[in-house]
Amino acid sequence: MKVSFPHMGTQVFYKKLMDMIGLDYIMPPAPTKKTIDLGVKYSPEFACFPYKVLLGTYIEALEAGADTILTSGGSGPCRAGLYAELHKKTLRSLGYNVDFIVFDDIGRDPKMFFDNVRKIKGNKSWFEAVKIFYTAYRIAKAVDNLQRVVQIRRAYEITPGSFDAAFKDVMQDFSDNANSLKDIKKLYKKNLKVLENVPITKIPPKNERVRIGIVGEIYVVMEPSVNMNIAEELNKLGCEVSTSMYISEWIDHAVIPKIFRKKSGKYLVDDSKKYLEMQIGGHECHNIGNMIEYKKQGYDGIVHLMPFGCLPELVTQTLAPKISSDNNLPILTLSLDEQTGIANNLTRIEAFVDLLRKNK
Amino acid sequence: MVKAYLGVDIGSVSTNIVALSPEGEVLSKQYSRTNGQPIECVKEGLKTLKKEIPDIEVLGVGTTGSGRQIAGILLGADVVKNEITAHATASIFYNPDVSTIFEIGGQDSKIIFIKNKCVVDFAMNTVCAAGTGSFLDHQAERLKVPIEQFGDMAAKSTEEVRIAGRCTVFAESDMIAKQQFGFSKPDIIKGLCEALVRNYINNLGRGHELKPPFMFQGGVAANSGIKAAFEKETGCEVMVPKYFNVMGAIGIALLAKNYIEKTGNKTSFEGFECADKELKPRTFRCEGCANMCEVVEVIYDGQISARWGDKCGKWTNALLVKTKKAKEKEKELAVK
Repeated sequence: MKVSFPHMGTQVFYKKLMDMIGLDYIMPPAPTKKTIDLGVKYSPEFACFPYKVLLGTYIEALEAGADTILTSGGSGPCRAGLYAELHKKTLRSLGYNVDFIVFDDIGRDPKMFFDNVRKIKGNKSWFEAVKIFYTAYRIAKAVDNLQRVVQIRRAYEITPGSFDAAFKDVMQDFSDNANSLKDIKKLYKKNLKVLENVPITKIPPKNERVRIGIVGEIYVVMEPSVNMNIAEELNKLGCEVSTSMYISEWIDHAVIPKIFRKKSGKYLVDDSKKYLEMQIGGHECHNIGNMIEYKKQGYDGIVHLMPFGCLPELVTQTLAPKISSDNNLPILTLSLDEQTGIANNLTRIEAFVDLLRKNK
Repeated sequence: MVKAYLGVDIGSVSTNIVALSPEGEVLSKQYSRTNGQPIECVKEGLKTLKKEIPDIEVLGVGTTGSGRQIAGILLGADVVKNEITAHATASIFYNPDVSTIFEIGGQDSKIIFIKNKCVVDFAMNTVCAAGTGSFLDHQAERLKVPIEQFGDMAAKSTEEVRIAGRCTVFAESDMIAKQQFGFSKPDIIKGLCEALVRNYINNLGRGHELKPPFMFQGGVAANSGIKAAFEKETGCEVMVPKYFNVMGAIGIALLAKNYIEKTGNKTSFEGFECADKELKPRTFRCEGCANMCEVVEVIYDGQISARWGDKCGKWTNALLVKTKKAKEKEKELAVK
């Protein structure tokens, strides 16, 4: 069994998890134009953008020698729940002999969930498996926190590209050396210093800093290669950025029981009740909750990302004008797909940043 | 010497150049068709301007519109800004109370919402050109009515004709159907104007409350039929400013003025000689990864002066790092 998985956000977490379990794996390549072309070619025209990119990614991984895809499922009306089944069908009809291991919501079918874990943990004990997962989770947490630092400080970068280069080294460092909880703590401290030492201009006083929160559909928010690298574009315009979705947070929301309101993300869903009475399958409630949360933290505006034709986010987009006027919070929705013209979106982003600056 | 700030708006259909006095008076304005040659168009415009005002002294330059980057390089612009900010700046300058701006240009249309002289929200047409000037141009040709006469023709209409405006293709077939029914040209033209406005408001105004005072600008504002359709749709007076077709250029000239006055910098304007210099873009394919980005390189006066198009920033950054500006910034602002 040689596994691969979607390319979503920082890759260190996946790599370390696979390494520690001892699975044979192929790291999926970051989506490029070629990936998207491949995905579009074999997808239905009206499938959502992430579906197409993932299909392209899987084809590239299978070509590189993988034979099993690990992915998450989904419940509710969002089409993501169908992805794995459809992908499997399409890939098999293309002649790839591929297996899928789909991790669905544990509450829905506990037996299947544990069977799946058994498949990948091999002869490791359950105790070891949990420990490995926890270690990988701590790595994700540390790397995500460091990424937050980058997304703030990069706004004041002096030499173009210096933060990207530094962060690449940080990830390499984690990938090479993070093997225990103790390592992770040490590496975090060390690399935080590294990032803080990347030269920046003087950070302006609080009332001149423009801070933007990015919310939206999880895949396009987390994967810079499909969202026009929006965080960096905003940084280039001198704005500090915070992304509402990170791998570690996603795990928090999925794993931690709902009675822990803060950590499980339940408070976000509660906040969204005013606008949307029920969950409709994606992350729409979390996104609405996050918009409100960003406002509470004094952010100046929201960039809302959605794949073209994404149902849950289409609902969020429709609610945006109301959320915006109720909370006095400018919101810019960008819809992304393979047809996205970058120039057009950059004009919008620039105008949005002007708007935020002027309103300060 | 006549002191002036220059504003240049390079759109898909028209290229507009204005010279503004430091008091905000329009000294000269040009509205010309881009015809797919933005650089030539700007160069011609500069020559014309120099002829019009031979003793002009340029205090600052700004560029906007979809060709703002390349024109910015040619002119050595002090400010290069998007057209939304530029249009809003000009509207607020002429009418500080304005709260909604309708702007319809050649291939795009925008709606801008203003509160307390600040832009609070905006929308731009996305994938469809149904609510834009090109659509009208195209239909005018089909009806064999010069676009300049659209407004007067529409005013002569006697019957109500409703034309489907959701999509240009459907609008066209619907229009043909209505022609076959025997409606007159004025009725059809009025129906087209109303279809355009309905489509515009449905697309861009979605979910927003449209509050007066309204301002209507952009090339299409020359068409009194559209203005009347807007007034019918909103039930309020819609103001068309005097310089409606060069508002973007005026706005960017004002922004250049603000920038120069605020920073006290000297303009980086290349001088009118730049109209004779050679500016040539060339493209190459980067083979660095599977993205195979098409990188555009601008050669200005024999030197590479800008690059864009690379996703990873490899080429753009390499050039930026080299430029003197980046080094100066480093010296000035570095914190230990």
